[in-house]
Parts: sequence; C-alpha cells; structure tokens
Amino acid sequence: MSLVEIRGLSKVFQKGGETVKPLEDVDLDIERGEFVSLMGPSGTGKSTLLNLVAGIDRPSAGSIRVGETEVTKLSRAKLADWRAGHLGYIFQTHNLIPVLTAYENIELPLFLLPLSRTERQKRVNIALDAVGLVDRAYHYPRQLSGGQEQRVGIARAIVANPQVIVADEPTGSLDADTGSQIRSLLCQLNEELGMTLLLVTHDREVASLAGRQLRLDHGKIVEASRVRVANSTVGG
Amino acid sequence: MFRFAPYIWKGMIRHRARTAMTIAGAAVGVFVFCCVGAVQQGLNRLTQGVAANQSLIVFQENRFCPTTSRLPQDYATTIAKLDGVVGVVPMQVYTNNCRASLDIIVFNGAPPTDIRKFDTLRLIEGGWESFESRSDAAIVGIHVARRRGLSVGQSFTIGEVTVQIVGIFESTVANEENLIYTHLDFLQRAAGSANVGVCTLFEVLVREGVDPDRLATTIDSTLHSGPIATTTRRKGAFQASTLADLVDLIEFAHWLGYASVGLVLSLLATTTLMATQDRIKEHAVLQVLGVRPTRVARFVIAESLMICLVGGTIGMLIALTALAWGGFAIGAEGATIAFEPSWSLAVSGLAVSLLVGLLAGLVPALKVATADLVPSLNQ
Ligand SMILES: Nc1ncnc2c1ncn2[C@@H]1O[C@H](COP(=O)(O)OP(=O)(O)OP(=O)(O)O)[C@@H](O)[C@H]1O
Ligand SMILES: [Mg+2]
Repeated sequence: MSLVEIRGLSKVFQKGGETVKPLEDVDLDIERGEFVSLMGPSGTGKSTLLNLVAGIDRPSAGSIRVGETEVTKLSRAKLADWRAGHLGYIFQTHNLIPVLTAYENIELPLFLLPLSRTERQKRVNIALDAVGLVDRAYHYPRQLSGGQEQRVGIARAIVANPQVIVADEPTGSLDADTGSQIRSLLCQLNEELGMTLLLVTHDREVASLAGRQLRLDHGKIVEASRVRVANSTVGG
Repeated sequence: MFRFAPYIWKGMIRHRARTAMTIAGAAVGVFVFCCVGAVQQGLNRLTQGVAANQSLIVFQENRFCPTTSRLPQDYATTIAKLDGVVGVVPMQVYTNNCRASLDIIVFNGAPPTDIRKFDTLRLIEGGWESFESRSDAAIVGIHVARRRGLSVGQSFTIGEVTVQIVGIFESTVANEENLIYTHLDFLQRAAGSANVGVCTLFEVLVREGVDPDRLATTIDSTLHSGPIATTTRRKGAFQASTLADLVDLIEFAHWLGYASVGLVLSLLATTTLMATQDRIKEHAVLQVLGVRPTRVARFVIAESLMICLVGGTIGMLIALTALAWGGFAIGAEGATIAFEPSWSLAVSGLAVSLLVGLLAGLVPALKVATADLVPSLNQ
C-alpha cells in the first residue's frame, strides 16, 4: 500500500464570475521513502495540490489518504493535530517566528507532542545538526542569512520526524549558491534519513534530484518522462 | 499551554511601545474606575451603617448650612428627659466653606467629656487629658491631618478660629476622620459672642429597640413650643439631605466610571486587533505546524488578558495608594464624604480588568481561529 493515495482530486475556485479548475480528477500515489518533484507552468495548481495534501485547504471533490489517515475527512482541529505528528511543511520563504531563536523555532512543533524536555532537546539538536546550524542555535532569524533561515525552516519541518514532507519552491527565493546547499540538504533528507518528500519547484536542477519527476498540466498529472517522449515526438 | 508561555510573552513585548501604551491606558481607566468606586462607597457608608441609623440629628427647621442653624443649648436637657434617649451631645459646627469643596475643614465643638465617650474614636497620637485640660485644644481626624500635614503641637487657624492640636484620631466611621473636634464653649466663643448658649445641632443616641423615626417625631413636637422649631432625622438621612446636590453629582459620576471602563475596552480591542492583523501570517504558520485554531485563539486572548491585568493592577494599586494617603473627602455644608481604599474596590478593579481583557481578545481570537489558512499564508 502506498503511503500517499490521492483519488479523483478536484479543486474549483470561483474568481469573480470566472471558474478556475486547477485540479481535475487527479490520481497520484507516493510510496514510502520516495522523493517526488512536481513541476509545471505558473498558476497550474501545484501549490493547491500541496496544500490539499497538507490539509490546509479543502478539495472540491476526491480523497487523500496519508498512511492510515483520511486527510479529507478530518475537522480543522483534527487536521492540526495530524499535521503536528505526521506532516512537515517547508515554505518558499522560511516563515520563522521572528521573536524566537533558531532553537526555539525548531522546538515549537515539539510542544504539540507528548515529549519530555530532554527528548525535545535531543530532537532539536539532531535537526540542527542535520541542517548544519548547531553553532547558530541561539541566533534570531534576523541574525541569519537567507539560506540559514531556510535551513532552520527545514529543521522545523523535519524535527517531529513526519511521515511526509511537502515543500513549495524551497529554493525559489535563494541565490544559486545557497540554492545548491538546500538541494543537497533535501537529497540528504531523502537518502540518509529515508524521508518521503513531495516537492514543488520551477528549478530543473532541483527537480532532477527527485527519484520521480511529475508535471502538472491542465489540471492533470503526467510523468515527466512521458512529457519528454511527447515533446520529442512533436519536435521530431 | 504553559509550554507556549515564552512564545506568548515574547509576542507581547515585541512592540514594546505599543504594549506599554496600552498598559498605561488600561491603568488610567482602572484608576478612574477605582476612584469613582471609592466615592460611591463613601456615599453608601454615609447613609448606611449603625451610626447612620441609630442616632438622630436635631437641626433648626428649614435650615441647611450649619452657620444658619441656631438652637438654644438648653434644648439638650429637654431632649435628654424623653423616653428612649440614651444621650444628647450639643454640637457647634464651624466650617471654612458652606459650598461643595474637596478641601473642606469642619470643626465640631462638643463637651470634651462627651467626645471622649464616642466609641467610634481612637486617639493614635496625643492624649485625652491634654484635650480636656486646654480650652483651645483640638483633636484632628487622620484624613485632615494627612491632607493638611498637621501634627500634634502645631496650632491651626481657619478664619477666626485658632486651635492647638493635641491629638490625632482614627474612627470606625470614615467620614468622621475628616473632622476636627474642639470644646463646645471654645467654638461658641470663637464664632462670636452672640453664639454663647447657642449650638448648631444635637446628636441624640437612641436606645436599642426604640424606633428612631418615632422618637424624632416626639422630639420635634416637644420642642415645637420652644422659641425655635426643629427638624429631627436619622444621622444618615440628615447627611444625605445635606449633601443632596453632591449625591446627584456622585450618581452621575459613577457613569464616568463605566465610561472609562468602556474606553479601556475599545482601546484594548483595537490594539489586540492590530496586533493580530500584523500576525495573520504567523498565526497561519502556527496552524500549519499543527497548533489547533482554538489554541491560537487562546494565545490571542491570553495576550490581551495579560496586558489588561497588568495595566489594571497598576491603576488599581495607584488609586488605592492615593486614596489611602491622600485622605480625600468631598464635603458641603459641614457634612463630608470620605474616599477610602477597600478590599472590595481592589477586587472589583481586578475583576473589571479580567473581564475587559477577555472581551477585548474575543473578536480578534475568533477571527484568527476561523481565517482561511492559504490566503493568510500568501499575505
Ligand atoms: N483562493 C483562491 N481563489 C481563487 N483562485 C485561486 C485561489 N487560490 C489559487 N487560485 C487559482 O488557482 C490556480 C492555481 O494556483 P496555485 O497557486 O496552485 O498555482 P501554482 O501552480 O502554485 O503557481 P505558481 O507556480 O505561480 O506558484 C491559479 O490560477 C490561481 O489563480
Ligand atoms: Mg505555487
């Protein structure tokens, strides 16, 4: 049984008098430990899909199951509880709490789990170590560089050891160098820690890291390999 | 919830100036609320209580200001003979000001042996012997002493009256602490030779079990045949009617107390709303991390509650300290209302702060808990 199972997923937005349908009857399976990238033109509904998986938006139709949990059937409060233990979200901009230190930012999601103080300490230190920021633990976000902030954001997403991590253009607002740091960090999460990743990106280099590359086009998901075949057919 | 306390705390002090100003606003509001409450309580004490209802005041008919009531002192003998009367104290009242004033000085002259028998009084400085032995001696209520900076050994002059202060007293009846007691004959002479043998009023102590109102009627009808007609009322009713104009004002002022609470509420609600609007994205991020919406709402309420409670406590403490040390009283026509701190005032000040903090946080909290996450994150 796959870890994430999306069936018949649709999302309809009413924008003024217009109806926008970014997702139409989408099916997708993600296996445990898989690294999946999702590309596609702007405005096709990549973020929408990610937000539906994370349970911070509601689908118009269809279902999403993650592990044993039917995400689409949970109340808002239950969804929050579920995210605390099972889902890590990496934002495009780090979205750290400005008044908390790197350490405190990473520790915050652990307050929601039944963990002792020492257990929390242990986990935060592991996460800090994983993103290579042990020496920046007591810095505030404004004292960190953009790449460091994003790494704290990643540490916060992985600290609770979630089933799935979703990332929405994690390198989107970084320069080339820091972008490559984040890229290797993402690889490391998947390869060394065995984490399941669903990553939305515009960056081919980032997408190429993934074991499986998808494209979202006109409300449908297509395997990138198939897209390449189609392109070459048209081109030839 | 307590695990998140550092986060709530750091959020509160994020905008130091804004938080400090809101706290100051809450402090001022609760300060006003407590002061107005003290005035109200002073008025209630005046017209209720044992002293107010178990003694009678005999005054000249149709007269209000103490300088205009002139009763023959020998009425005391007549009144004392009536059934149900335990004691009669003839009293001369002399005041610096017949109009409403915040710094009213009221002399009450009575036979010193009678004053010593008042079971409400307790000397905290000086002695009864020196009061009885010296004809121009005076004992001063603690409130007047504080307000005017008076101490034993000083002399004190108001108008044509100069007294030597030989003692300072406390009283179980708050408004009595605004009085200065002197010898009756001294005050009569000081007020002019025409006043010898004439006094302003009689305070009549009624035996327990006797209806004070029936006795009042008996006194008035007995004295009706004398040279000057009288009006006798319970002490509380007498003081309330003397202060009638002030009572109206005070009843109006208590709306001011509510209004100041209303102002605090709107101030705090505005700041809380502003603070949450600044943090729409942050609150959405918290929920993405797994914090329940109701919990984020509680963070918001906790913050407004803390601010209001801190401000309210400061305002309440300042008000109570000022009331305790200022010895404030408002008076008119020789009767005074004392403003005193009390536990009930402290408790109601805190309760109001709690309630306002809660109410002010409610709407912003509701908005935070129900806002859609995706648009909030995209802000
Ligand atoms: N709340 C909303 N109301 C109306 N329309 C919306 C809303 N959110 C998204 N849309 C529309 O849905 C479509 C998909 O949006 P989405 O943000 O998922 O695109 P995306 O693929 O992530 O684009 P980008 O690569 O630019 O981030 C867009 O056309 C967008 O305008
Ligand atoms: Mg997007």
